[in-house]
Amino acid sequence: MALLELQNITAGYDKNVILKDLDFQVEKGELVSLLGSSGCGKTTTLRLIAGFSTPMAGKFMFDGKDYTQVPLNKRNFGFVFQSYALFPHMTVFDNVAFGLKMRRVPQDQMKKEVMEMLETVDLGGFENRFPKEMSGGQRQRVALARALVIKPDLLLLDEPLSNLDAKLRVKMRVEIRRLQQKFGFTAIYVTHDQEECFAISDKVAIMNHGVIEQMDSPSVIYNHPKTEFIARFVGFENFMDLKRTDRDGIYVLSDGSRIQAEGGKSGESFKACIRPEDISIVSDGTDAPNPLTGEVMVSTFLGKRNQYNVRTAIGEFEVSTDQESVYKIGDRVTLSMTPGKIILL
Amino acid sequence: MLEKKTKIYWLFILPGCLFLAFFMLIPLFSLLFKSFVDEGGRFSLANYFALFESTYFKQVFLRSIRLSLTSTVVCAFLGFPTAYYISKYSKNKGVLMALAVFPMFTSPVIRSFSWMVILGKKGIVNDLLVKSGIVSKPIGLLYNEFSMIVGFIQLFLPLMILSLIGIMDNISEDLNLAAGSLGASRLGTFRHVVLPLSIPGLVTGSVLVFTGCLTAYTTPQLLGGTDTRVLATMIYQQAMSLGDWTQASVVAVVMIVVTIAVSSVINGISRKLNPTI
Repeated sequence: MALLELQNITAGYDKNVILKDLDFQVEKGELVSLLGSSGCGKTTTLRLIAGFSTPMAGKFMFDGKDYTQVPLNKRNFGFVFQSYALFPHMTVFDNVAFGLKMRRVPQDQMKKEVMEMLETVDLGGFENRFPKEMSGGQRQRVALARALVIKPDLLLLDEPLSNLDAKLRVKMRVEIRRLQQKFGFTAIYVTHDQEECFAISDKVAIMNHGVIEQMDSPSVIYNHPKTEFIARFVGFENFMDLKRTDRDGIYVLSDGSRIQAEGGKSGESFKACIRPEDISIVSDGTDAPNPLTGEVMVSTFLGKRNQYNVRTAIGEFEVSTDQESVYKIGDRVTLSMTPGKIILL
Repeated sequence: MLEKKTKIYWLFILPGCLFLAFFMLIPLFSLLFKSFVDEGGRFSLANYFALFESTYFKQVFLRSIRLSLTSTVVCAFLGFPTAYYISKYSKNKGVLMALAVFPMFTSPVIRSFSWMVILGKKGIVNDLLVKSGIVSKPIGLLYNEFSMIVGFIQLFLPLMILSLIGIMDNISEDLNLAAGSLGASRLGTFRHVVLPLSIPGLVTGSVLVFTGCLTAYTTPQLLGGTDTRVLATMIYQQAMSLGDWTQASVVAVVMIVVTIAVSSVINGISRKLNPTI
């Protein structure tokens, strides 16, 4: 059974419904990311799990118990805020000790645990500083230490790295992953950064308009998106309309030509997509699969690769290739799509 | 380029500075000067020694401080929950803030007269007390320290509320949620987060209320009696009724010193309570 389970959750403010019949499950020890653009409901979901708000309808089960109405201070969940939310009037030590103080942990033990945790996040010797005397990355680690020292049953992170610069972001996400694997805690991580979330997560749930469109491991999402929204999100730029034929693996394009693709899908007509780097430009007359002729409209030099926008009979295609030969605007070219790289949606 | 600009902008504050120099600094220093010379025109502390030997002055001095401190403490206790509610929970913040500062729109004279009507022998309070049988005949609620404190509180509570709201609005809701997620109850969150972070507002409010009470003239003049004089009314009495401008200057200097001293003591205490201010 899942450690955490949201069942038919509906939530929002006043008449504004943000989440509709949301179902979501997290297994013990997993790091699951909620990924989506702003306004998709990911933060609402996280705050609901934290107990900052209660759902309008639905049930929140945790470890087999109904947590829907459990007040936030009785949940024993750690929360890391985007703003860090460190107490400005307390030293680093007092910030980290706060949760233990509320739990009436004896003084000696509290001191030991706080110091150990500060060592773990590489902040030994900073215990007497105030938050305003520290850098963004250091504050971030204080916030992590404060949430982790209470040994939370669940760690919730709300875009914890978005206020850091790019280099530090990469460093901190490795750090978070390291801590998560060291302590084995279950965590839910909210972000709008696809790279960050793929790097850190066991599973990714992509949200759109208050609904989870797909929840899978990062590699499954990256290679086999289930919907057009997700395909666009993970870098598929080229979309085609297909119709089924009598033969398995053969489909008809909108201009009547045939295309070969792997994998079956029920239904008569559907969309297919392919990444720019999975299309190659071939010389005429070669026996390449799925040939498609067109005219180069835009040519962009990207350093290692060249990118072309090619107009064909079934629409414009974006192609990214590392071939040495360079094509000019107006050149007639033949594109080839490997059947295995065409994803049916 | 930048330096040139800075020089020009400096001129903008010149009119204000000149105004203050003429109408505040010069009178203030002439006052100071007057209090430190004797009849022969030489420097002397005799005026101060004479003042502090007078039992009457000592009574007035202590009464002023006592009334101001009491009013400040009561304003803090009344203002804190009000400001907290308006800042964090109210849905019609603008309306409530307007209501809170509404008393400031009327003059202290009119407000004092209203209190005379309410607290007088035939006023509504005495009426209720007699009718309900708590007292057998009307009691004297007016022209004493009680009525002065009531007047002060009504006069200065808005300043306390406004100072507190200004600070409380800046306490991020995330901090309360963080405290809650770490296991703090509502009371614990209030005690460990809201209260210490509100101290700067409490300090500003207290200094404003205290100095306001200490220097107020109309309210103690109208709501106080002849045997409840405070520093401000004493200065008026010395200068206008008795024509003793030197004595009035000395009292004025004492009032200014007390104001500054109390403000710095309150600031010092707040720094101890919240070292990050």
